Amino acid sequence: MTQKMRTGMVISGALLLVAVAAWIYQLQEGLILTNMQNSYSWGLYISGLAFFVGNAAGGLVLTSSIYLFGVKKLKPLARLGALTAFANVTAAMLIVLPDIGKPVRLYNMLLHPNWMSPLVWDVIVLNLYAVAAAVYLYILMLPELTGRLGWLAIRVNDPHAFSERWARRIAPVALLFAIGIHVVTAWIFSTQGARDWWFSPVMAPDFVSVAIAVGTTVVLLAAALAYGTGEQYQEAYRTLGLIIFMATCVHLFLMANDLVIHAWYGNTETHRIMEIAWGDFGLAHLFEVAAPLLGAWLLTRPQVLGSLPRLLTGSALLIAGVFVHRFLIMPASYNNIPMTLTPFGLPGNHWSLPIASGRLLPGTGTFLDHYAYFPSLVEITILLGIMAYAVFLVLLAIARLPILARENR
Amino acid sequence: MKMGMVIDLEKCIGCRSCMVACKQHNAQPPQTWWNRVFTPGSHRHLTPPAKGVEFFLPVHCQHCENAPCEKVCPVEATYKAEDGAVLIDYERCIGCRYCMSSCPYGVRQFNWEDPEKAHARSEYQEKYHYGYPEEHRHQGRLVYSPLRPKGIVEKCTFCAQYRDRGELPACVRGCPGKARFVGDLDDPDSDVSRMITSRNAFTLLPEKGTKPTVFYLPPKAKEV
Ligand code: SF4
Ligand code: SF4
Repeated sequence: MTQKMRTGMVISGALLLVAVAAWIYQLQEGLILTNMQNSYSWGLYISGLAFFVGNAAGGLVLTSSIYLFGVKKLKPLARLGALTAFANVTAAMLIVLPDIGKPVRLYNMLLHPNWMSPLVWDVIVLNLYAVAAAVYLYILMLPELTGRLGWLAIRVNDPHAFSERWARRIAPVALLFAIGIHVVTAWIFSTQGARDWWFSPVMAPDFVSVAIAVGTTVVLLAAALAYGTGEQYQEAYRTLGLIIFMATCVHLFLMANDLVIHAWYGNTETHRIMEIAWGDFGLAHLFEVAAPLLGAWLLTRPQVLGSLPRLLTGSALLIAGVFVHRFLIMPASYNNIPMTLTPFGLPGNHWSLPIASGRLLPGTGTFLDHYAYFPSLVEITILLGIMAYAVFLVLLAIARLPILARENR
Repeated sequence: MKMGMVIDLEKCIGCRSCMVACKQHNAQPPQTWWNRVFTPGSHRHLTPPAKGVEFFLPVHCQHCENAPCEKVCPVEATYKAEDGAVLIDYERCIGCRYCMSSCPYGVRQFNWEDPEKAHARSEYQEKYHYGYPEEHRHQGRLVYSPLRPKGIVEKCTFCAQYRDRGELPACVRGCPGKARFVGDLDDPDSDVSRMITSRNAFTLLPEKGTKPTVFYLPPKAKEV
């Protein structure tokens, strides 16, 4: 283990512990410690779910490229892809826990699952994907589980051939679950007919494209940190950069396509959505478009892929842009009250029925039709802690397991 | 039997008696209101948005037949009683708040903290408790308790605790304008069914496809 890795583990481990403490505090006091209220009932945690689910796509991109499309040069990165996928999909499940009012009752999901609920579907696919990523990682590591790690290995005649054969067999199944997590997570939002901002068939394909962009960036970032930016990796990095750029363009196209159609027709709901997305959150919206585009473009440049600081900048821009994109899932929905009508005798008037906040909010009334949500310190701490968890897990696995190519351990 | 409610907007005087009766009888925590009465078009209640435009709109759970809240609930905590009322099992709800997002009418309310703490925070008199004092079970499931568990969602039950004894919901009894009616929508001769067909009843947000069982009778045109 290098000194840098040790430092990384200490910092991420400490952050994780702080987040656990924050969650215990929140368990005691209730979700009053967040800045959500009744009219704005999901916030940073559920944005975090969408964010981590997207990050988990790296495994999918690599396995399908290698085993379905035969891009052999990516093979050295396959384990890193499976590992980041596992870390992020488990992070996605963890970030839901602090959002749940009564987490001790989660067993009800097993006892009384409602098969109509997309949340139940999501829990199922997230778990399946986590298992698939773990099994896949294990199969890929199998030939090198020797010596100190020998006890972990199942006994097979020719581990290399076995690993190759099973990786090829698992790849299509894993791919199915992988696409499933993005589609079903999107459905949680896009099935809600109450919310015009979400109720769009484009959301699921868009989630897939965002995920391919950001998940691949996560793998590229991890690979550059682990292996550096030497000549022997440039070919693989260029392939990843191209995938990232194309997926980002598809994402921006899908987003713009949706907005143009609605804006062209110009109904009131769309006007209200636009006011929020481009009015209240104009700068954030600009960032969610410009940062990933710039980041993705940088990651196609050989000069950028060949220099660690530049590669880090490009990846950071893209990941930050996608994070803001995930944050912006909420405001245009919650600040757009579905119960809006045109009162008798007032055509042209669109009046929204205010919602009772459910908690004392000093400085505002009880009934709200607009709420400037910004996450509380507890929410931010817990989210950072879950990010730290993913980093910690990746570092720990790299330190203990044959994740990297032999000469880099 | 399919429970239904009719609210006559011609008779509603916007006094908010139903809102207060509902709040009190159902022991709702501070800042929680299952039932809201507002003046459409106006930011101030009881202040007409324009001359002659004067009507009020009470909104609570619409006990939808195609209820999105019921469909999204991952643990079937939100369920439909045999008469069509949509209820929440306080012992089953995990507090994911999925239902709150999915309800178009904004009627679902979360318990962000322990109700006792909420009382203290809002400076209620110590040990002062209002509302129906006992827990109530419907088909064995806890659908009302005077002190709510922290971290669950609640909403209008059509006053399950009273209806199960053959009494009317608190809002119906508390309305001085006698603007509210409940009855059987399956029976074409019931008062509610006849009012619906003869008085041009409408539902809120019909375009959302939720099929509410709460109907509104439009106010009459005013003399100019
Ligand atoms: S009004 Fe809302 S809470 Fe009531 S049944 Fe309909 S969707 Fe559910
Ligand atoms: S908050 Fe409770 S009632 Fe609402 S969907 Fe979740 S478990 Fe069901």
